[in-house]
Amino acid sequence: MVMLPLFSPVPERRRRWLLRLVAAQVLFVLLVAAAGYAVSHYGRTVALRTSPVDPRDLLRGDYVSLNYDISQVPRRLWRGEEEPRRRRPVYVQLQPTAAGYHRAVAVYPAAPAALPAGHVVLRGWIGNVWRQGLQLRYGLERYYVPENTGLGLQRQPLLVRISIAPWGQSRITGLEKLPADTAR
Amino acid sequence: MSQHFLDTEGPGWVERGIISPAQLQQLRALYPEQPRAIGLLPILGSVLVGLSALSVVAANWQDLPEVLRLGLLIGALVGAYAGSEYFLAGGHRGLGVGLASLGLLLFGASIVLTSQLYQLVGYDVTGLLAWVVAGVALTYVYQSRTLLLLTVFIGAMAQGYSVGSLSTYSYATALLTAGGLGYYWWRRPDGFCGAVLATGLLWQSALLIEHLHLKITWFFVPTMLVYAVGDWQPDRPAARTWQAPPLVAAFLFMLGLAMFGEAGSYTDRLRPQFVGFLGALLLVLLISVAGKRARGRLGSTTDWLLLLPGYYFPGGLPLAVAALVVLYAYSGSVLYRGFREQAPERVNLGTVLFVLTTMVAYFKLTWDFLNKSLFFLLGGLLLLGLSWYLRRQARTLPPTDQPPTSLP
Repeated sequence: MVMLPLFSPVPERRRRWLLRLVAAQVLFVLLVAAAGYAVSHYGRTVALRTSPVDPRDLLRGDYVSLNYDISQVPRRLWRGEEEPRRRRPVYVQLQPTAAGYHRAVAVYPAAPAALPAGHVVLRGWIGNVWRQGLQLRYGLERYYVPENTGLGLQRQPLLVRISIAPWGQSRITGLEKLPADTAR
Repeated sequence: MSQHFLDTEGPGWVERGIISPAQLQQLRALYPEQPRAIGLLPILGSVLVGLSALSVVAANWQDLPEVLRLGLLIGALVGAYAGSEYFLAGGHRGLGVGLASLGLLLFGASIVLTSQLYQLVGYDVTGLLAWVVAGVALTYVYQSRTLLLLTVFIGAMAQGYSVGSLSTYSYATALLTAGGLGYYWWRRPDGFCGAVLATGLLWQSALLIEHLHLKITWFFVPTMLVYAVGDWQPDRPAARTWQAPPLVAAFLFMLGLAMFGEAGSYTDRLRPQFVGFLGALLLVLLISVAGKRARGRLGSTTDWLLLLPGYYFPGGLPLAVAALVVLYAYSGSVLYRGFREQAPERVNLGTVLFVLTTMVAYFKLTWDFLNKSLFFLLGGLLLLGLSWYLRRQARTLPPTDQPPTSLP
């Protein structure tokens, strides 16, 4: 109990502990920022294709809603013993294609032990389960952009670059427009 | 006692010879003047200026360069804590703790906004966990109830997000709430904080049961463990408020059993594995009774009536009736203890529980058999009779403004 000034109201000790605490908080916020840079530096980049979100669905705030091709996958990709359940965390195996973007080839309930060369795993959650397929959520469905510039991006297919760090975090690092004819 | 009170009443006492002028001086020295509160207007003014700055920043947030955004967040964070230290040094504890709470909130906002700044996706609650850790540490550093309450809410939110969005249970958050804040409450028992913290712990338990897909009756094992901690707490009034949330949960559950137990269709969903569940519950009962014995409160063992596992019986009318009998026994025991310990608030509580149970029993047992007007007539007579009986009982009690003598 000497570690914290548990119940000693001495102002000097309180001030000393507060100083350390505030320093730790600032450090933590800086670490979050550093993690942002580290993910794009050390992470592996995958490119994912999106399809336009329903154009009637107007811009919400200052972000673009992204609907990835890998957000809906056929049920046959499921590799779990049990039936897939809503909200369960999953590991999606991505394979690069000749067209320059990645597609999902398998969905695992736990991190797969071995992967073919070039394949990457992206973590996500099951959003919904249908007879034919699974709807997946990756936490990457929003891209924050300066205000009032998002609407145009939402109406066309995009190629989104995502960095996946070896320690599991991921972030969107870039967004580019795809020519309309390469879309489905 | 305030200076103002001494100023107005003191000379009168001296005149009547109750105290001497010297004693009045001594009394004044005993209650020194509080540091003068800061006027409301400067505070309101600063809040408005702060809000305007905030709205300018919020409106242009996405257009600001990344470094500036990060700098603003950290600047606000450090500023809030520095301000709190400034006001604490000046003797304004309320304002100081308020600014520290603001600092804690800004810490959480900084974590969220910085992750958003870098479009960072995490798969665990590390960020929110850091927020809870900061909250617990600040509670100890400032010795503050406000920060304790705030941290209970932050912990509840972090766990809700973890289970709801990430589908993982953050055991660290639960342990920090139970161990970190719980230990603080144990050493600095306080009624209101106890009730809020106990509710927060029930929330953490409920989410654990939900996450593990256990039968909901398992909820009462951690819930009664929270209750049992109260039995060991030496400060009796604080312990009683701490135990209220677990008891409310148990009472409502039993009431539900009395109301819907008849259906029987869901009772097997309530039946956990017999040996494991009852073993765990008995263990908690032992801890609780040992605490009651050690603190000389064995009378309150009747609280455990609410935990009788009626759901192992087949559903149907007998189950509903059994649940009602238990509820009557419990409210009766609260009334009895209230009268015996001459605790008016306990008597009132017992009365409310008694009436509530009677209403459920009445709806349950008579609605189908009786003519509607007879139903209301009987109900009215029953309540009138009860109030007459209780009033007669109350007359035998000493007036409540006398200090209760046998209250431990």
